[in-house]
Amino acid sequence: MTQDDVIEQIDISGLRGRGGAGFSTAFKWRAAKNSEGDEKYLICNADEGDPGAFMDRAVIEGDPHNLIEGMLIGAYAIGASTAIVYVRAEYPLAIVRLEKAIKDATERGFLGDNIMGSDFSCVLRIKAGAGAFVCGEETALIESLEGKRGMPRLKPPFPAQSGYWFKPSNINNVETYANVPWIINNGGAAFAAMGTEQSKGTKVFALSGKIKRGGLVEIPMGTTLRDVIFDIGGGIRNDKEFKAVQLGGPSGGCVPKEKLDTVIDYAELGKTGAIMGSGGMVVMDESTCMVSMAKFFLDFTAKESCGKCVHCRLGTKRMLEVLDRIVKGKGEEGDIEKLEELCYAIKDGALCGLGQTAPNPVLTTIRYFRDEFEAHIKEQRCPAGECRDLITYSINKDKCVGCSACARQCPADAITGELKSPFTIDPDLCVKCGNCITACRFGAVEVH
Amino acid sequence: MSIKYTLDGIEVIAEPSDTILSSAVRAGIDIPTLCFDKRTAIYGACGICLVEVEGVPKLLRACSARPQEGYVVRTDTDRVVRARKTALELLLSDHTGDCRGPCKLNCPAMTDCQKYVQEIKNGEFKKAVETIYEAFPIPASIGRVCPHPCEDACRRQLVEEPISIAFLKAFAADKVLAEDPYVIPVEPDTGKKVAIIGGGPAGLTAAYFLRQWGHAVTIFDQQPKMGGMLRYGIPEYRLPKAVLDQEISIIEKAGVVLKNNVKLGKDIQFDDIRNEYDAVLLAIGAWTSVPMRVPGEDLDGVEGGIYFLEKLGLGEKPLLGKNVAVCGGGNTAMDCCRTAVRLGAENVYVVYRRTRNEMPAADIEIEEAEEEGVTFKFLTNPAEIYADENGHVAGMKLQIMELGEPDASGRRRPVPVEGAIEDIKVDNVLMAIGQVAKCDGVDGIELTKKGTIVADDMTFRTNIDNVFAAGDVTNRGAGIAIEAIGEAQKAALCINNYLAGDEVRYKKPYFVEDEKTEADFEDREKQQREKMPGLTPEERRDNFKPIYFGFTEEQAKNEASRCLDCGCHDYYDCRLIDYANRYDVEPEKFPGEVHARPIIKVADPISHNPDKCVLCGLCYRTCDQVVGQTFIGLYNRGFSTIVNPMVPADKAATFCATCLKCVEVCPTGAMKSEIPVMRRVER
Repeated sequence: MTQDDVIEQIDISGLRGRGGAGFSTAFKWRAAKNSEGDEKYLICNADEGDPGAFMDRAVIEGDPHNLIEGMLIGAYAIGASTAIVYVRAEYPLAIVRLEKAIKDATERGFLGDNIMGSDFSCVLRIKAGAGAFVCGEETALIESLEGKRGMPRLKPPFPAQSGYWFKPSNINNVETYANVPWIINNGGAAFAAMGTEQSKGTKVFALSGKIKRGGLVEIPMGTTLRDVIFDIGGGIRNDKEFKAVQLGGPSGGCVPKEKLDTVIDYAELGKTGAIMGSGGMVVMDESTCMVSMAKFFLDFTAKESCGKCVHCRLGTKRMLEVLDRIVKGKGEEGDIEKLEELCYAIKDGALCGLGQTAPNPVLTTIRYFRDEFEAHIKEQRCPAGECRDLITYSINKDKCVGCSACARQCPADAITGELKSPFTIDPDLCVKCGNCITACRFGAVEVH
Repeated sequence: MSIKYTLDGIEVIAEPSDTILSSAVRAGIDIPTLCFDKRTAIYGACGICLVEVEGVPKLLRACSARPQEGYVVRTDTDRVVRARKTALELLLSDHTGDCRGPCKLNCPAMTDCQKYVQEIKNGEFKKAVETIYEAFPIPASIGRVCPHPCEDACRRQLVEEPISIAFLKAFAADKVLAEDPYVIPVEPDTGKKVAIIGGGPAGLTAAYFLRQWGHAVTIFDQQPKMGGMLRYGIPEYRLPKAVLDQEISIIEKAGVVLKNNVKLGKDIQFDDIRNEYDAVLLAIGAWTSVPMRVPGEDLDGVEGGIYFLEKLGLGEKPLLGKNVAVCGGGNTAMDCCRTAVRLGAENVYVVYRRTRNEMPAADIEIEEAEEEGVTFKFLTNPAEIYADENGHVAGMKLQIMELGEPDASGRRRPVPVEGAIEDIKVDNVLMAIGQVAKCDGVDGIELTKKGTIVADDMTFRTNIDNVFAAGDVTNRGAGIAIEAIGEAQKAALCINNYLAGDEVRYKKPYFVEDEKTEADFEDREKQQREKMPGLTPEERRDNFKPIYFGFTEEQAKNEASRCLDCGCHDYYDCRLIDYANRYDVEPEKFPGEVHARPIIKVADPISHNPDKCVLCGLCYRTCDQVVGQTFIGLYNRGFSTIVNPMVPADKAATFCATCLKCVEVCPTGAMKSEIPVMRRVER
C-alpha cells in the first residue's frame, strides 16, 4: 500500500480522534503528509489525565504492540521517521511494558531501519510526562516534549504544519492509533459499517461512579447511554434513582435522565452540552449534588490551568470561588448569571482546549439542574444532602436501639447516649463525615 | 502574493507572513494587546487583541490569526468589546497597586503632589512648578492657604506625620516666582470667546486653561482687583497680596483680559455677555454672610465676618472696640478673630457651640489663634445680642451647650443646657457661621433651594445653553479654594469641548488603589516633618506681616525626602490602566482572592512585584528569545503562576546580564529597575 492508500482506507473508515475533540484522523494525516518538510514526526498522546479514565493505560499495558503497529502505519502514511509516545509518568507499568515491546519490535525488525526489508525506516521512543493535565493538549504536549514548560501554543499554525521542533507533526491519542491496525487488516469499509452516520467504529469508556458493574467497556458507536448504563453497567448501585451521567471529564458535561436515550455519537452528545471526550463516564445517583460535582471538575481545571491565558487562569478561579460560596450556602442572588457570563467569556477567550471546555461541566449542570443551584442560593438547602455546610445529622429516636455503634465510629465524639436508649448527635461537634450512617444498621441516622 | 481584507471598514493589504495585528499596525489601526512584541514568538496570553471575523464563529486573537482574502474583520463589535472588557476585569481582579498616590487622589484638583514633592526632593523646582501648573495656576497662593486634603490622606502618617505638601508647594512656587516665573504656553487662537464672571480661584483657573487652549478669555469682576476670596477673604498675614498679584500677572501675561469694577446686572448685562461670547462661566462665589437668627443681630457693631474681612481687603480699617466676639468655628472665624487681635482688640472671644474636636477650622489656625491670645468659648451659642443706650452692641448672652447624639454629619449634636446662660461684655460681634451665594443679575438661571446655581456635576452646564458655572456659587455652595479650582479645571475642559462642538462629559478616571497599614511601613526610620520658621506670637500680634518665612531650600529638600513615593512609577507607561479606562471597566465585577506577595529581588537593580504582574510573559520570553538568557521563568500553575528568577539572587550576577530588557517590555511596571528605563515594545 502506498502512503495515500493507507490514508484512503482511514478516510473510508471515518475514524475520528478518540482523545476528545473527535477530529478526522485521515484529514490530519493527509495534512501532515502534504506539509513540506525534510523531517516529520508522529506523536502518540498517552497523557491520559481525565479523572477516572484509564482506557489508554489498559491498551498500553495490555497490548502495547497494537499501539506500536498503529503508530508505525501512521508514521509510514505521513512520512515520519521518528515516532514518540508521550506517556504519563504516573503509568510506570505501561512504560515498562511499552519499553519491552519497543525492544522486542526493534529486535524483530519491525522498528528501526528498513522495516521488514522496505525502504521505510522509523524509530520509536518514549517521553514520560511530568503530570500536568494540560500536557494532554497537543500543543502543550509538544512544548513539553521540547523540554519546555507545558503551555499551549496558539493555533494556527497547527502541528501538521509546524509541530515538534516546528516540523510537521501528527498527534493522535492511544485509542485512535490502536484502531488503525484493525482498519488496515479489515478495510476501512468494515470499520465504517459499525456506528452511526457521523461516528464510526467503536469507543471505549471507563464506566464508573454509582454503577453496579463498573470498568472498561468497548461499545459500537450508536449505542444509547441507557443501554450502556442499565444493560452493560447493570444499573444504579443499591437500586437508587439515576440522576445524571458525566461524559468527557473536566472538559465534558452531564447528561440528565431525560436524555438517557441519546446515542453515543459525536454530534448527538455535543447537542446535550456534553462531549464524547476520551471516554470518562461517571454515573451519578440522587445522592450526588450537581453543584458540588460541577465544583469538583472546575476545581480540577482551575488547578491544572497552566496559568498562561487570563481567561483560564483567573476566569476559572473566579468561577470556582462563586461555586464554593454556593455550596457553603453563601451564594448570592445573581450568582448563576455571573457563572454563565464567566462561562461564555472563558469559552470565547481562553487560549486552548482546556480553558475553552472548562466551563462545560458548569454550563450543563446549570442547564439541567438550575433548581439545585437555586435551592442552594435561595434556601441554603442542598437537595441531594451532600453539601456539608448545608446539612445536619440527627438520630431518629424511634429507630435508634441504643447500640452505640455510631458513637464508636464517630471521630469527633459528637454522639453520646446511654446504652439501650436513643443516642443524640451534638451538631456543634459533628464533622458530617457520614461514619455514623455507615455504622448504623437500623437506618436511624438521618440527614437534613 | 498579498491578501486584501477589510478591518473596521478599511481595506488592508497583508503579506502571507502577516497576522491581523501586524497588518493592522502597518495600516495605522490600533489593536490593543498586553503580551505582544514582535521580537518574541507569538504567545497569545492576554486575550485583549481579540477580534471578530464575519463568518468565523470564534473570536480570533489578532496577534496570531492570519488574515485571509476577503476577510471582514471588526475590532469594535459588542462581542469584541465585551470580551476585551472581561479580560481586563479579570486581570484587575488580581492586580494590586497604587496607580496614583493617595495625596493626588484626595486633592479635589488632582494635583500630582507625589510628583512635585519628588521633583523638589531632586532640586528640580522649575519642574515641580510645571507639574503644579498642570492642575492649576496660583500655586504660591494656594500653597499658603490650602487646608491641604492631600496631607490628610498622606501615608507618611502611618510612620509619624504627613509630608508638608502645601508648604512645599509654596516653597517651589516662591522660588520660581522670584527667579524665573512660569510662562503659560498658549496654543494658536481658536477665534472663540469666553467670558468668565468672577476672578476668584475658580475664575482664574478656568481662564488659565481656556486661554492655554487658544480661546480669547475675559474675566469680569466687581472688585477693584482679581483674586476673589483669596484677596478679600484671607488676611494679609496668611497670604501676602503681592504674591497673589504676581501670580495673577502670569495669567494676564498669557493674554487673559482682566476687567475689574464691573458688576453683573449693573455695569454689564447677563444677556449681552451671553450674546457677545461663545461661552460664559459663572464663578461668582458665595459672598453673603449667613445670618444667625438671634435677637439683636442687626444692632450697630454686629457684622458678617466676611464683610469685615472684605473691608480690610479693600484697604479700609474697620473700627473695632476693645472686646470682640467672633461666632463660628471655621477658617473664616479664625481669620476674623486673628485679624481682630491685630487691629488692637484686647479681648477676642470665639463663640462656638461644639468643642475644639468638632471645629472645622484647621488645627494650626486654632493653635496660632490661641497663641495670639484669643479666648475660645466652646459649647456656647449666641442667644441674644443686646445694646447700650446708643443702640450699639454692649454684650451678648450665650446659651451653654452640651454634646448629645451624633447628627447627620457624624459630629455630636450640641444641645442647650436648660437655664445655663453666660453673659459677656463685647463691643463688636462678627458672625462667621457660613456664607451663601447671591445670584443677582443672572436672569433665568435655575437655582437650588439654597440659592446656588444648578450646574451639572459632570458637564458644569446650567439650564442656559452657553452658560456654565463652577465653584462656591454652584450646587452645594461654599467650600475650600482647591475644590472650586478642581471644578473650574473640569468646567474648562467641558467648555473647551463645547466650543469644539462636542458634549464630552467629564469622567472620573479609574485608578487601581491599594490599602496600606502601619505594618507596611514598619521598617521606615522615623523622621519628623520640618518645622516652618515664622514670627513668634509676640512678633505677629500687632501687625499683618506674613507669619511664615517659608522653608529654606535645605528644609524643603529634607521634607520632600520623607515622601514615601506611594503611587506607581509607571502610570504613564502602563497599558493596563490605559486599556482599563478605554474599555470603561467595572473593576469590582469579579471579586475574589487577591494575591499579596512580597517584592522579588531579581538581580540588582531589577525587582519584580508579582502583584502588579499580569503574566503577559514578555519579560521571561524576551530574556530567553531576545537576549538569549533564560534567567527568569514561570513557576507554579493556575492562579498561583508567578514570574521568578530561575536562580537565587546571590547567584544572579553570574546569569543576569542586567540588560534591563525585561523591565523595558513590562506593560504594567511589575518589573522595575532602580536605573530608569524607557518602557518600549515593538509591534
